[in-house]
This record gives sequence, structure tokens and C-alpha cells, in this order.
Amino acid sequence: MNALLAVLWKDLAIEWRSRDRFVAMLVFSLLVVLVLYFAAPPSLDAALNGYVPGLLWVAYVFAGVLGMNRAFAAELENDALSALALAPVDRGFLFLGKAAASFLILAAVQAFTAVFFALAFSLDFWAVAPRLAAVAALGGLGIACAGTLLSAISVRTRYREVMLPLLLLPLLVPVLLAAVRATTQLLTIGSLPWPPIQMLIVADAVYAIVSFLTFEYVLDE
Amino acid sequence: MDRWKRATAAALAVAGVAWGWAVWHAPVDALQGDFARIVFVHPPLAFAAYLGFGLTALAGGVFLATRREAWDRFALASAEVGVVFCTLMLLTAVIWAKAAWGKWWSWDPRTTVTLLLYLIYVAYLLLRAYAEGSERAARFSAVYALVGLAVVPLNYFAIELAGGRAIHPDNVSRGSFGPGMLLPFLLGIAATLAAFAFLLVRRFELGNLRAARAEQTASAALREGG
Repeated sequence: MNALLAVLWKDLAIEWRSRDRFVAMLVFSLLVVLVLYFAAPPSLDAALNGYVPGLLWVAYVFAGVLGMNRAFAAELENDALSALALAPVDRGFLFLGKAAASFLILAAVQAFTAVFFALAFSLDFWAVAPRLAAVAALGGLGIACAGTLLSAISVRTRYREVMLPLLLLPLLVPVLLAAVRATTQLLTIGSLPWPPIQMLIVADAVYAIVSFLTFEYVLDE
Repeated sequence: MDRWKRATAAALAVAGVAWGWAVWHAPVDALQGDFARIVFVHPPLAFAAYLGFGLTALAGGVFLATRREAWDRFALASAEVGVVFCTLMLLTAVIWAKAAWGKWWSWDPRTTVTLLLYLIYVAYLLLRAYAEGSERAARFSAVYALVGLAVVPLNYFAIELAGGRAIHPDNVSRGSFGPGMLLPFLLGIAATLAAFAFLLVRRFELGNLRAARAEQTASAALREGG
């Protein structure tokens, strides 16, 4: 448990001093929104509200992938990853620490992106803000858990920036689908449906448990 | 290894001939005509593909537990052969969908999940190609295969949740196969699994030969150096 908190604190302190992941992810997610908006035909304007949840999650997932690419980049310098692996603790807790830090950074990006969305598409998120935040957090947790495991793998391959999305995106389909579904219903009907939330919780649990158990083998040098 | 090769080749020859004969004599489908004979090819390919992916994850798990490289070579062989069968299965799926449902792709849950599984295993092969060092490739890909396998059922439920139209039939479980159609279907499964086993054994042997050759080269280099 102390290892978890130590790694979490270290990653957040690095991020607080440099802010490079946060800024890059936020700018990138806003750019994704712009690209998708310009890619949509003009006639879509009226129907755009139905697409907003999808756009929002595309931005979240792509920003998440970009951020996860950097999750272990700093650990490569001075072979810090080996030092981390040498720590006499269960490596599963190192995973939880890294994943928690990535989750918090992603959550901050998600919050800012949602505000931008609300302004850009004249949507009123206020009424549903807490529930929207809960859906975003559940989705973000899945991205952070699966992303942390696969980032630890991809960072030690050739073409690592290319490798991570190839590995991660097919695994994120359950999270993406359920999160878009929940967000759509929340924004159109105003109520949160249970089945997609259930799906998100199960998917998060599967990613977290499998990653916790297999992280041992990923760090084993 | 030779014994395995002979056994699987013999099984493939026997099952393949019997299968061809049974498909030739199978009755013509009332609705789809001769086109329905693809049912003797497409589901068996799917079984072989899923078997390949299951074996990959299993062998990967055993490799992580025992660290014996032969298990890793088996996992790689199984993934490669599985990807070949999955490719054929998706191709027959697309052809049959056009003939029976009117369009090439209809986002049916089962087809979509299989496409996702296919992408996971193509990523698995890419990971093996791009990981630095064979020991790392073995460890990373074993972990990825296990995660990939854990996600397959999730993908299925997720796509059903999204309202993917389930138009895939469950012929065998509903017993809706017409008379005379079950035998060629079962023989199709036997022949496809025999082909799978034959290719798997050959691919595994190739991996073993490559590993032995690499070891020889390394020890020869050592002797010259000394």
C-alpha cells in the first residue's frame, strides 16, 4: 500500500512540476474535437447533439492513448524502470500507483474537455454534471488500467508510440461502447441506465485484476 | 515430432476426403440453394480460429509459469495458424453475409466480436515482431494474450448492449439442421481441426528448428571466439 502511494505521489509531483502530459493531452483532445467537427457534413448541425457523446469519448480515448504513451517514458531515463522493479514490494501495487496517477491526470483532462464541449456545442451539462463525471470516471478508470499495463509493454518495443494504440484500442471496445451508451442516454433522457454502468464496472474490474496479476511478468527483467 | 506430423497428415487426408464426399452428397438448402453449403466451411473455420486463440493464451500462461521456451514457440505457432483460420473465416463470413443477408457487413455481434479478436491477435503478432529480444517478446505477448482472452466475453456483451443486430443463427443448438446436413457439418469440423493440427505441428516444428539453429550459430561463434 505504501508503494502504491509513493508511486502515485512521485508521478503526480513530476506532472505538477512539468505539466507536460496534462497540457499535451488537453490540447490534443480539443484538436480531436475540432477535426471531428470539420469532418462532419454541414447538414449534421441539427443532428449533432446525438453525436456529441460519441465525439466526447473519441476525444477522451485518443487523449488517453496519448497520455498513456508517456506514462512510462520518464521511467526509461537512467533505467528508472529497473530500479522500480527492484523495489522489494509486490509489483501489483506499483501498477496500481502508476494507474492511479494516470487516472487522475486523465480525469483532469476529461473535466476540461467536457467544459469546452458544453461551450462549443451550447449544451447544458450542469444538471447532469455529477452523473456525467461518474460515467467519465468509470471510463477513465478502464483506460488507465488497461493503458498502464500495455504502456509498460509498448514502451520497451520499437515504434512504441505506434504500438500502444494497436494494442490498447481493440481492448477498450467494451469501455468505449458502454460509456458512449451511458453518456448518450444521460444527455438525451437525463437518466442513467444501469446496464452500461454495470458493463463499465465489470470491464474496469477485469482490466484491473488481470493487470494487477500480470504486471509482475511485465517488469520482470 | 515426426509421429505427430504423420498422425495429423493422415487425419487431415481421411477427414478431408470424407468431408468432400459428404458435402457433395448433402441436400440442397430450400432457401439458399447451393450457397448454403458454405455452412460446412464457415463455422468449422470459426471453431479452429477460436481454438487457436485459446491455445495461444493457454500456452502463454504456461510459459509465464514455467519459463520453458517451447511453450512460447507453441503459443506463437498457435497464434499464427489461428490468424490464418480467422482470416478465412472472416472472408467466408463476408461472402455468406452478402449472399444471405444482402450486404457484406451488418455489424452482427458475433462477426464483430470475431473481427475484434482478429485485431487483438494481429496486434499480438506485431508485438512479437517489434519487441526487443526474444525473451521480452515471449513475456509481453503472453501477458497480452491473457488480457486479450479476458476481454473477448466482455466485447460480446458490450456489442449486444449497443444493440448490434443479432442475425446470426444458432443452427446446431436449435436443431434446425435439415436431414442429411449434420454429418457433412461434423465432418467439416473434423477436417478443419485436422488441418489446424497439421499446420500447428508444422509451424511449431519450424520454430523449434529455428531455435536449435540459433543455438548452434551462437555456440559456433563462441568456439571461434575462444
